[in-house]
Parts: sequence; structure tokens; C-alpha cells
Amino acid sequence: SRTKTQSTEQCLLLVVLLVSNMLLTKEGVTSLPICPNGSVNCQVSLGELFDRAVKLSHYIHFLSSEIFNEFDERYAQGRGFITKAVNGCHTSSLTTPEDKEQAQQIHHEDLLNLILGVLRSWNDPLIHLASEVQRIKEAPDTILWKAVEIEEQNKRLLEGMEKIVGRVHPGEIGNDAYSQWEGLPSLQLADEDSRLFAFYNLLHCLRRDSHKIDNYLKLLKCRLIHDSNC
Amino acid sequence: RSIKTSSGIQIIINCLALTSLSLTGESPPEKPTIIKCRSPEKETFTCWWKPGSDGGHPTNYTLLYSKEGEQQVYECPDYRTAGPNSCYFDKKHTSFWTIYNITVRATNKMGSNVSDPHYVDVTYIVQPDPPVNVTLELKKPINTKPYLVLSWSPPPLADVRSGWLTLEYELRLKPEEGEEWETVFVGQQTQYKMFSLNPGKKYIVQIHCKPDHHGSWSEWSSEKYIQIPTDFRVKDMVVWIIVGVLSSLICLIMSWTMVLKGYRMIAFILPPVPGPKIKGIDTHLLETGKSEELLSALGCHGFPPTSDCEELLIEYLEVEDSEDQQLMPSHDNGHPSKNAKMIPKEKDSDSGRGSCDSPSVLSEKCRESRALPSTLQTQDVRDVQENKEGKRSWETECIASEQKILLFNNESTKETTWPATQLPDNHPPMFAYHSIVDAHKITMTTTNVNIASFLVGNEEHKSQYSITETVHDDMEKQREMENLHSKTDQTTMQVIKTRPNDKSPFLNPKLMDYVEVHKVRQDKETAVLLKHKENSGKREKYTVPGTSKEYTKVSTVVDHNILVLMPDSRIHHTSVIQEPAMEMSQNLQQGQAEKNMSYCLTVPSECKRETSGSEYMDPSSFMPFK
Repeated sequence: SRTKTQSTEQCLLLVVLLVSNMLLTKEGVTSLPICPNGSVNCQVSLGELFDRAVKLSHYIHFLSSEIFNEFDERYAQGRGFITKAVNGCHTSSLTTPEDKEQAQQIHHEDLLNLILGVLRSWNDPLIHLASEVQRIKEAPDTILWKAVEIEEQNKRLLEGMEKIVGRVHPGEIGNDAYSQWEGLPSLQLADEDSRLFAFYNLLHCLRRDSHKIDNYLKLLKCRLIHDSNC
Repeated sequence: RSIKTSSGIQIIINCLALTSLSLTGESPPEKPTIIKCRSPEKETFTCWWKPGSDGGHPTNYTLLYSKEGEQQVYECPDYRTAGPNSCYFDKKHTSFWTIYNITVRATNKMGSNVSDPHYVDVTYIVQPDPPVNVTLELKKPINTKPYLVLSWSPPPLADVRSGWLTLEYELRLKPEEGEEWETVFVGQQTQYKMFSLNPGKKYIVQIHCKPDHHGSWSEWSSEKYIQIPTDFRVKDMVVWIIVGVLSSLICLIMSWTMVLKGYRMIAFILPPVPGPKIKGIDTHLLETGKSEELLSALGCHGFPPTSDCEELLIEYLEVEDSEDQQLMPSHDNGHPSKNAKMIPKEKDSDSGRGSCDSPSVLSEKCRESRALPSTLQTQDVRDVQENKEGKRSWETECIASEQKILLFNNESTKETTWPATQLPDNHPPMFAYHSIVDAHKITMTTTNVNIASFLVGNEEHKSQYSITETVHDDMEKQREMENLHSKTDQTTMQVIKTRPNDKSPFLNPKLMDYVEVHKVRQDKETAVLLKHKENSGKREKYTVPGTSKEYTKVSTVVDHNILVLMPDSRIHHTSVIQEPAMEMSQNLQQGQAEKNMSYCLTVPSECKRETSGSEYMDPSSFMPFK
């Protein structure tokens, strides 16, 4: 009878352990890197989301700077493209902070929306950039793969930003305002000089806007995550 | 033609006018050049230009700028803050992600000149100030080696906290005496851990920073000197000191132990090689060569014969190695007196057993050994000498192979005989002594029978062996002695008997008779059965009184190898029976057997007492004089 009680005790203990394990580890069973849209309870913290976003934006701007410099070295020397580039970018219609004070005064939600707008505005141009840059005569491979990479990373950053916005400002429909790009015809101009200028301008704008996004995200991260004490 | 001439004239006039102007030194200023524009904290920026020649007149410089997408031209808001030929744009006038079109105009009395436009986006011209507050801290964790932590602060103007400006750092260091810097990219952190620096050395460290995107590196911070503390080394020194002390202590202890117990240790490590040990023999005595001491150690008392031996009747039996000589036992009935031989008391000592330990050998050895020393009992000086010599050689040699053992020196001219000494009272002169009776099979054939030529009378033939037993002239008994043949397998020893006619006290080998010892009866009155030889005619039956067999009673044993037989009862009945309690080891075997005689004749004491069958003579019943 003694062994019987022992065995029953062991069984009970085992059952208790299993149940408790199930209950306790229920939440930690799955750790998805990206939360599904609209889900409130997500595993990844906001800080982690911002870290990922910052990393992406940093990378995108790095690539954009590189591709611009390469293009400038190869195709824009002596052509005076810079003088003509003062016409602006297609995203200039979006009012974005121009200095530190403006950036610190704007509300983080607005800023987030703004970031989203800029990112959305660049969806289309980047696709065409990747396809059209291949038509450039003797385009180096480095320019080609960078264009493709930028386009891919931009998509990922957009997704991440949408998640952040969903976390920070759930339930509210974000401002879907974005700038429409209409520079495709210029990329397909017959005149090589005009066409190259169009590419130069586009790459110039890309470098600028990616820097803006990177800067804004770092500001937001320090403000929201580190309480302005980076 | 006229046009050409007129244009030419105009050109000449212009040139003259210009030269006149230059000669006077007045001209509009040269075009200035904008050197650079920099922003230290990404909030303001400054532009510097380099003026050209002023043209001889004081020149005024104005900076004008316009922004991207605007037509408005602005002038520099601040010409002073940044020094001469500079323009400082404060926060209000600084916009980012905007291209500035900046030009500088130089104006003097004669004219003005404008520099080339300079397009600048402030985002890309950030060059921060060097980091500040460079500090060092020595951290000593518990289980890890200590390390240095170098920490610093970003430049004060850079707003890193809000995240507006993100800086990356880089440091460089070198030993004070070194020449090359070692550069380490640190990243965005503001501290650095240094692990592998040489203790005791002095290092120089500098840090600079840069924005994460674009921009340029700042100037290096002021030199910071690092003195690596030497307590690292002290720790090692302590360890070495402890090691040295311990090792010296151990050496002291070991040397002390060696001093105290050196010999024992040496003996333990290198044990002395044992020398050959022969039971009963003291090597020292051998070395000294004193025969008396040696023999006393061996247990042969009274050997060589002392003056006491003179009293003894010594009868020697000479063993001849000649087949021809088959002396018939002579019936010396009228041989009453016999020399009793001194049979040295044989002691059973265990020393010096050597190779002669086999019982069979021993007995023979004993016989031989007894035979040998028995001959030494003589008063004859010559004999003594010979005996001594012989004894020595006999003492020290072992018989190992077949040799003629008992080589009887037939040729010896000298007849050394034991002097016929009168036995003490207990020893009636009637007794005859026989040499050792190896009844049947003594193969004294071992060649190495270098029985020492103790021989009486064989001083010239020392290699010859003879067991001589002198029979006193007065010996009446005729006995046969077995002759030991060295070469033959005969194991019969013939007892040489002296002819009864031989009255000389010296041994006359040719006159000796041999009797074959057939049996030995071992009882109270040990008797020796003597076989009759061919000359059966002369043989006599010796009967022990009371026995049916022909036994001759052995009265005593002399010198361990000489049997003193009782005289024939028919001849003479001696009432005196010597019963020396003597130990004598005899190997009396019946039957023939070859024996490899390997025995040491040197040591009568080797002769152990044989406790064998009844066929063996029990020497214990024999005791010469004691």
C-alpha cells in the first residue's frame, strides 16, 4: 500500500507539473518577430520595433548615399547637375521639419505619419529606379544592386513603421497623405543628358529623404524610448 | 583696311589704359574664394572665404546666399562671430535638407568681384568638436584580471541626448616612447575597456568623433597619459618569492636528511653486492692465510696437527692410482700396534658449503678431506711443510670435474709417512687406520680433483693426490684399500694396506694392501666390511666378533677420512675401541654409480653427518680424542 501511495503521489505531481507548465509557458511558446496587423498584445516591444526601424533607415540612407556618390562620380562630372537640382523633389509638398527645433516641436504622432507619408511616396519611384537604372548605358553593377536593395529595404521599413504607428496610436487611421511621383517620363527621356540629370535628381532626392527619415526616427526613438536621454 | 586699323588702335588704347591703371595700383578686388563651411553641432554653421587681392583699395566683402526653391537672396547675418572673412549662420538662419547657394562679393572703390557660388547642404558639413572629459578608471574584479576603463563625454555643443545628432567615436593610443598610433573604432559608446596593456608603461590616448552620417572627424582630444599600475607585477613577484623560499626549504631539508642518514640512504639506493658466501669459511681468514685460524673456523680442530698429535698413532693409507697395484691385504696379524691416526674432530658447521653440498659428494668429499688432513699429522717437518702446502692447495680447491683424484705418487721417492706415533692411551697402537671408506663407488674420477697434494711424500707432485694412509709398520693388519681410480668408473676404493712387513713408519705405498670396503655396518660398533680382492688368497676374513658377516670394526675415524679399523679379532683383540664421537659424513653406497665428484676437499667440516641408511657409517660414533 505504501508503494501505491507513492506512485499516486508521483502521478499527481507529474500532472501538476505539466498543467502548470502549460499555463505558464502559454504566452512564451511562440515569439513571432512581427506581430500580425491589428493585434494589440504583441510580443515585440516598442523599443525593439524602433531599434529595427532605426537600423533599417540607417541602412537605407547609407545605400542611398553610396549610390548617389557613385552616380555622381561616373555620370555627373562637369555637367553642373547640382545647379539644376535646386528644383526640388516630389516630396517637397510634404511639410517636414527643417531643423532641430521644428523637429522637437512636432508631435510624435504627426512625425510618425509624416515618416509614413514619405516612405509611401518613395514606393513607386524606387521600383522604377531599380528597373530604369539598368537601362543606363554601362551602368555599374554596384549601382544596380544598390537600387534593388534600397527598394526592398524601403518596403520593410514601411511595414515596420506601420506597426509602430499601430502601437503608438492604435485605432486611428493614419494620415495617408503622400506625394505622388510623376518623374517616370523623365527617366525615359531620349536625351541622355536629360535622362542622366533625371537620375541624378532622383538619387539626390532619395539621399535627402532617407536622411530625413533616419533623423526623425532617431529623434523619436530617443524621445519615446529613452525619454530624451540617449 | 580702315576697320582693321581702327580696331587695332582701340585695342592699343585699351591696353594702355589698363596698364596705366595697374601701374597706379587700383583695381577692383579679386574674386574671393569660399574656403569651407562647417557646422559644429548640426544647428549652426559658418562659412569662411579667402579674399583675393584687394586691388589696392580697401575691399568690402559681402556674403550672399539663397536657399533652394527660393528666389530670395539674403546676406550673411553675422560677419563677426566667426572671425574675419567668415559668416556665421545661427540657428534661425540654418536650415537642413536645403541647399544653400552662397557667394561672396568683394567690393572696392574700383569695382567688385563675386566669388563662385558655393552650394552647401548643412546636413553634410557637420564636424563636431572633440570629445571632452576623458577619464580613466582601474577596475579590479574578483576573479578576473584588472583592466582599465577609458570613458569620455561628447562635445558639449552636440545634442546627442535628443537624438538630433548621433556621434561615432574613435580613439588612438601609443606607448609614450612609441611612434605609431594604434587606432580603435569604438562606435557610439562613450567608454572603452582596455585589457592588454603592459604594466608599468606609460601610454598616450586620444579620442575624436564624427556624425554617424556624413560629416567629418573632429580634432583629436587633448593627450591623456595612462600609467599602468605596477601592482600587477608585484603580484607575480610575490608568487616567485614564495616559490623560491619553498624550494630552498626543500633543499635544506633534503640536504639535512642526507647528512644524517646518508649512509643508510646510499645503502638503500645502492645495496652492497653480496659476495660469495661459503658456509663455514670466513673470507677474511682466507685472505689472511692463517691456516690455524682458518681451520679452527672450519672446525677442524687440531689441524694441522699440533704437538698433541705426536702422540697419536697415525696410520696412513695411500691410495694409488695404479691398477697394477692391487695390494693384497696382508694379514698382519702381528700387527698390533698401529698408528692411530688422528682424526680430527669434525664438526658440523654450516659455513662454507659451496658447491659441495650434494650429499653424495659430501661424503666423498669428507672422505677425501679426511684423508687429506690425516696425512698431515706428522711430526716430520717435511711432512708438515708438505702438508701445509698440500693443505693449502687442498683447502682452496674444489674438485669439479673428473680427474684423477687419487693419484698416487708411485714415483715418489720420498716416503712421507706419518710418523708412527703412539696413540694416546686410548689408542692402542694396534689400530689401523684406513682412509675414508667410500665403500663402493667413489668416483674420484672427477678430474678436478686437485686434491691438494697434502701428500706426505709427494711434495714433488703436488698435483697428485693421494690419500695416504700410512700404516704403521707395526700394523699387523692387512687391509685392502681401495684404490680410487680417477678414470675408471670403478668406485671401489681400495684401501691400501701396508704390508705388514713394512716396518718403516713411513708409508710404503707399494707395500700397502688394499681392501675393498664392501659394506659398512652402522651400529654401535661400526664395522666395515671389507671385500676381498683378487688375491683372495691373502684375504682374510675379518669378522667382527659376534657377527656372521665379515666385518671389521671401525674403531675410529681419523681426520675425517680415515677409518681406524679394529684389528682382526683373530689377530688381535683390542679391547680398546675408540669410539670417537665424530662426525663424519660418509657416503657409503652400494652399487655402482658414477658420480661427478665435485667437492671441496678443503673443508672437512663440509662433511656433514650423514644420516642415511644402515649402510652408512655413522661418524658420530667416532670421536677421536675428545
